Amino acid sequence: MRFIARYAKELESRFEIVTVYEDAIDKELIAKDTPVIQTLAKKYPAAIWFERKMQDDFGIIIEDAFDKRPLVHQERFPKDTHPLRKDFVKKSLQEGNYVPYKYEAIKGDGIFQVAVGPIHAGIIEPGHFQFSQAGEDMLHLEVRHFYKNRGIEKMLEGKKLLEAKPIIERISGNESIAYQICWRDIVLQATQQKLPLALQKRHAFLLELERIIHHLTDLGFIPNDAGFGAALAYASKLSEDARRKMQEITGHRFGFGAIGFANGFMDIASISEWLKELRESVVAFEEWIMDIPSLWDRFDTTGILSLKKALKYSSVGVVARASGVTIDRRINPFYLEHGFVMASEVSGDASARFKVRLEEVYNSILMMENFLEEDDTQLSLSNLQDGEYSSFCESSIGELFMTVDIKDGIIERFFVRDPSFVNWQAVHLMMRKDIIADFPLINKSCDLSYAGNDL
Amino acid sequence: MIKFWNKRLELGVLTENLELDNELKAIQKEIKDQVKKKFAGSLAIRMVDSGSCNACEAECNALANPYYDLERLGIYFVASPRHADVMLLSGIMTFNMTPHVKEAYAQIPAPKWVITMGDCPAMEGVFEKTYAIKAPAKDHLPVAHHIKGCPPSPKEIIEGLLEFLRKI
Ligand code: SF4
Repeated sequence: MRFIARYAKELESRFEIVTVYEDAIDKELIAKDTPVIQTLAKKYPAAIWFERKMQDDFGIIIEDAFDKRPLVHQERFPKDTHPLRKDFVKKSLQEGNYVPYKYEAIKGDGIFQVAVGPIHAGIIEPGHFQFSQAGEDMLHLEVRHFYKNRGIEKMLEGKKLLEAKPIIERISGNESIAYQICWRDIVLQATQQKLPLALQKRHAFLLELERIIHHLTDLGFIPNDAGFGAALAYASKLSEDARRKMQEITGHRFGFGAIGFANGFMDIASISEWLKELRESVVAFEEWIMDIPSLWDRFDTTGILSLKKALKYSSVGVVARASGVTIDRRINPFYLEHGFVMASEVSGDASARFKVRLEEVYNSILMMENFLEEDDTQLSLSNLQDGEYSSFCESSIGELFMTVDIKDGIIERFFVRDPSFVNWQAVHLMMRKDIIADFPLINKSCDLSYAGNDL
Repeated sequence: MIKFWNKRLELGVLTENLELDNELKAIQKEIKDQVKKKFAGSLAIRMVDSGSCNACEAECNALANPYYDLERLGIYFVASPRHADVMLLSGIMTFNMTPHVKEAYAQIPAPKWVITMGDCPAMEGVFEKTYAIKAPAKDHLPVAHHIKGCPPSPKEIIEGLLEFLRKI
């Protein structure tokens, strides 16, 4: 049974711990004065961050956890502060005493630690990577995040679902359409409405457009991190073209505000023309890049995540598919009818992640052609009903899971699990056979979100 | 490989030098002149993300794509604050990032400037104050210039940089 997420919510007199699996949901009620649970991490290692997070957010005690360090709350975060509890209402915090974080470290003769981050050398998001090194060889890596924690979950509590959208679509900029689609599905569940096919097609088109923008950027940056800058120049031109299409169609370069309940105009002729050109350009890119042995020498066998580990760590998305795990939220009749084919590789290395992205770009172009349609359908929403709702969407990174409880017409609890939140926990497994100079390449080949992870 | 070079020749130069877009052309010329005059021909920017959604970073990365090619104008994104003239700050100044942002600022040799980009650091966007947010950035750093937008497009960033250059 695949583990998907684990989170807590505060009810009147108890906490509820919800664990979401591929085809089951488990709910456990615990007393507020003795909020103790047992860990799932022994069976599902990816449960660790979820449990450490609820320990910080709610003060829930994971009795038999082997890692009780704080996760979201960093060195200066005031002690015994659990901001997701309902009685916590402060809008600002004073810095507490500095308590150093104990990094995981391998110790021994000649072994040393390398600390990287939170601010990195390039234009990328902040996060910390702590390496235990024997010379150039990486013995261990601890990934430490949550520098970007904005308190999104708390920010959304007390809002109406429709008002929450501008915030939800800005949780992770590269995955905005996917977040909006998860939000849309929750709105539809809460109003008990069905989405007209034409709107479904428009949204699916935009989701694939977002995916190719993100993938094309990575197809440039991954070779760039192996020292081959020309690929970045080429691919970033293609991704800029695609981003301008997003602007043209939605009025925003990242599609913020794009997913709504009215269909709009799309210039089908010019989009088809562009998709055709794009496919040709990607073919040219592929022929060129596949032919550069020194590049593949860097990619092949670098940063391997085995199938066994990918399954054990509940990995999702591009990372999982590159390791032979065939999961994708687009496996459903709607997508299959429009030409969806699962991209997957088996080698689990940087090459595989690069190739999965390349295959997905072709498949997205094909599906986008099939989604195009002239239409002006509108859906007027009925009233939202209170309840517990959740939804999934396959973002450009992987499976996104969102859940919202609505009580008295407003959000009582919002939780979202970015695909990055589980995939980050598998990144350290990829380092075992490589040298530290490969780290940027391995990290880029996964291209996970920090913002979506940190919330 | 041969195919690639054929394609390359076919494409020609993409950079929007914009004989067509006179406005941007004029901006680019003025930036070049200003950078020459005020920063001896090279302006080094250290980009710091204090809690963005990553779209602001994506637009800064886009400045290097063949359409904008910012380096042509003498503006570089550098790897260390110690090499920088300017800190370009994006994101909402989270509780957890604030000490690191201040540290990065302290590491920039004087004279130095902070430019904020995007609605987040100015607290003018959609995010509301929570316990985890310490924005606006101007409460923590001397902000010399602000570039609005969510995110500002590459063109708006270029225009914003020019405004800053004129100002100082
Ligand atoms: S200003 Fe907008 S685009 Fe920039 S980081 Fe903030 S939310 Fe994202």
